[in-house]
Amino acid sequence: MPIMELSKKIKESEIGQEVLLISDDPATAADLSAWARMTGNEIKVVSADNFLITKSN
Amino acid sequence: MITAGKYEGQHPLHPKARQILLDAFDQGWADPAQISAQGRQAQALLANARESIAKSLGLQVSEIELWGEPELISPIAIWGAPGFGSAPFIYSATERSEIIGMRAKSKQAFEISVDINGAVDLEVLAQTLQPNSIVAIQSANIETGVIQNLKVISKAVVAQNAHLHIDASASGARFIKPAYWSTLHFDARSWNGPSGVGVFALKNGARWSNPLPHTKPTRAPNSFSIPLALAAASALEHWIADESANSARLKSLIERVRNHVKQTISDVDIAGNAESTLPNIISLSFLNVSSEQLVAALEVEGFSVASGSACVASALEPSHVLKAMGLLTHGNMRINLNHDVQDGEITKLLALLPGIISKLREN
Repeated sequence: MPIMELSKKIKESEIGQEVLLISDDPATAADLSAWARMTGNEIKVVSADNFLITKSN
Repeated sequence: MITAGKYEGQHPLHPKARQILLDAFDQGWADPAQISAQGRQAQALLANARESIAKSLGLQVSEIELWGEPELISPIAIWGAPGFGSAPFIYSATERSEIIGMRAKSKQAFEISVDINGAVDLEVLAQTLQPNSIVAIQSANIETGVIQNLKVISKAVVAQNAHLHIDASASGARFIKPAYWSTLHFDARSWNGPSGVGVFALKNGARWSNPLPHTKPTRAPNSFSIPLALAAASALEHWIADESANSARLKSLIERVRNHVKQTISDVDIAGNAESTLPNIISLSFLNVSSEQLVAALEVEGFSVASGSACVASALEPSHVLKAMGLLTHGNMRINLNHDVQDGEITKLLALLPGIISKLREN
């Protein structure tokens, strides 16, 4: 699941580091904002299935 | 008993309702439209069932019809509302898919967003309402149990002389009728009745016309199963008696689940708040947990729970309800408590859940 993969990647990242998530899973876009709210990280929507995440904490 | 699925209808029928059903199937039944003695007997049985259902739901007998295809009730109730197609059609983002699907038949469709607790944005609803609008709102959501503020909604609707359809299929007999409504939808499964029986209610004096081709005076095709209808009426009577004995207990059990999960498990979305959700449903979404694995792990322990996540069973899309609320759609589990749930079942579930979640997250 893309969100779970993202969580693993962010865990390994430094604060301020960016992760590009590419996913056409319909649940990804739906869950990213919830994920950001729960984890305190920032999301930037680049396109319909491209998301740039910045580790914020 | 904790059940999976969206309806308590997976629960066995009340023994008395079951006996009525079996007797009806064993003895056969005549066509109630026939003038024979057996036909008149069938008619009387059916009339009693209709009276019982109406009384139990706080409605007039003249306002209700029994339908054999409950999931069609809301779409047809909306379709038959005056001006549907050209009049503004307003619905919330968490309505059942069959209702949202009706937007395709309307030239002016407006979806009203909900907040993170699932409450319809009342300000936007009031701004969107126009005279003669058709509004479709659920009394409570079948996935999350979130209850809408129908008192305020119905006041806003009547002020615009609009039509209000309320989907009460999740609330069932817990539904509290607002002062103003036009049509209602109930499903017998919500009171542990058999599937295949629904109730369409049209308020006396409300305008509605049957959108289906019809040759009979009744609004519904009247092709429901009479034994199932009789069983549904009996199930409803018994459910109401059981509810008065158990509602406070169910509510406290759901609160225990809510509080325990908040205290012992991190990164979880709990749908709705305790004050405005049905007392028997709770929806939980755990971050970084596979729903499929969660449902399977609970099944091994003897718990059958449902999930609103896309990866489970045949769902191809995540729950539009959770999505509309801005809640996590993955890692979701939903439990529905029946009147006969034992406190010990909840104790066991709560003892197991943190460990299961922790283990699944490690993987």
